[in-house]
Amino acid sequence: MRNLIAFLLRFQGVMLFVLLEVVSLFLFVTNSSYQRAAFFNSANTYAGAVLARRTQVLDYFRLDELNHQLLVDNAQLRQQLYPPDFTRREADSLPVGRDTLGHIIYRHLRPDPSQALASSTGLLGLSPTAKPKKPNPLARPDTLLLGGARIATRDVEYPLVPARILNNSLRAVDNYLTLNVGTADGVQPGLGVVGAAGVVGQVKAASEHYSTVFSLLHSKMAIAAKIKRDGTFGSVKWPGDDYSHALLDYIPRQNRLVRGDTVVTSGYNAVFPEGVMVGTVESFVKEPDKNFWTVRLRLSVDFSRLTYVYVVHNRPHTERDSLETAATAPEPAPTKPLVKPTRPRR
Amino acid sequence: MSAVGVLVRQLLRFGFFAGMQVLIVGQLSLFGLGWCFLYLGFVLFLPLRTPISLQLLLGFCMGLAMDISYDTGGLHAAAAVLLAYLRPWVLRLLTPRDGYDAQDTVNVHQMGWQWFMVYLLLLVGLHHLAYFFLELGSFQHPLITLGRVGMSILFTSTALLIIQLLFFPVRRNRS
Repeated sequence: MRNLIAFLLRFQGVMLFVLLEVVSLFLFVTNSSYQRAAFFNSANTYAGAVLARRTQVLDYFRLDELNHQLLVDNAQLRQQLYPPDFTRREADSLPVGRDTLGHIIYRHLRPDPSQALASSTGLLGLSPTAKPKKPNPLARPDTLLLGGARIATRDVEYPLVPARILNNSLRAVDNYLTLNVGTADGVQPGLGVVGAAGVVGQVKAASEHYSTVFSLLHSKMAIAAKIKRDGTFGSVKWPGDDYSHALLDYIPRQNRLVRGDTVVTSGYNAVFPEGVMVGTVESFVKEPDKNFWTVRLRLSVDFSRLTYVYVVHNRPHTERDSLETAATAPEPAPTKPLVKPTRPRR
Repeated sequence: MSAVGVLVRQLLRFGFFAGMQVLIVGQLSLFGLGWCFLYLGFVLFLPLRTPISLQLLLGFCMGLAMDISYDTGGLHAAAAVLLAYLRPWVLRLLTPRDGYDAQDTVNVHQMGWQWFMVYLLLLVGLHHLAYFFLELGSFQHPLITLGRVGMSILFTSTALLIIQLLFFPVRRNRS
């Protein structure tokens, strides 16, 4: 009888072991998908609160470094505010041809400066109070340079959400970040996350005040990218070894590459705006069994000292998604002309 | 000790190991490769006569708490359940000549250095092998992963040994 009970007890242990292993492996395998409640990750309210408190305490020991980072960012932004003298200069006339005597004919691109002056003074004369009310454009810049791409900061509908990183892993095969912003700040799963130096990742799940982000250092992240110099597009993946490097795939072998080429997002996957920096080409080799170059990138973002990031909305996202699903749907409406909505170029 | 006392004590231990892991030790790394799994101490230092199913459940809870903190889905939980399952086997393997006494616990002063180090290195090693190769999903970078396993074993064992020397009572009632 005792043997039987002992046997049953051991059997119970095995049963429970198998059950718990199956449950945890199921959770592990489905971890990378979006359709999960935000409970089983660090966007969970309790875990988020603990991590936020830890960040609060640890920040005191890093104030020096944080200040330095903010100073560097500020310096870059200030450089944008004070451009060199000649950046705004344009030719006021263009040579359009020659007259019969051989003199070059210029066509003026703008109205006569004296006329323009007269009209502006006339305006001023009509409403002298208008001038002090005019907002100073330098006081609140409406774009922010992130990783080389200009992104609007003051769009009411799609704000750029600044966030603080609460938790960051580097050494796992699949790395995640935790941010201190959530749905209350307008963060939704699927949005892109960008740091001052370049691409960081994509939001995986968001609770009310916290969100979890797929880092670029994740085995299932692929970022649509292109080489800035000639526009060759490829896809950036992280091979899983070193957090300062990634691979650029699908660059055809006949293309010429240059060490130091800048790689930016192509905007094809509608997560990141076009032109946000990803990294620079560090080395490239032809491997005999592949049709593509094996290109190794040095990432522009230093993930080991990442502190502040921005969650970006790529504006035409929903529009494009619906357009693309309509285009791939079995029966597209043939009569309607497909008008591509134009939006002002930034 | 009453049942409530045991429960409170184990809850405090859970809080201690999980808190140390998430708040302090999880930030550190050894040579950029090793990571400290301090929370394993909760499972490893459970009383010797804990029922197997209770051990499994406690391991699962601890692993899940770590998974939630580090966004690994169920990876920590799977490895911790495996650890909790292997622990009685290793204990049986290391049974002293005259069996375990009633008051024996996993304690470096009580059980001796040799017993403790074999116990610790064996279980931590098995756990780390399972954890890192499960995380990889395949054998893509075997050398780097082995380096990670080795460094993490070193880091975790040292940390757990320090915990033992600091917090566990010295009672030399065996040998």
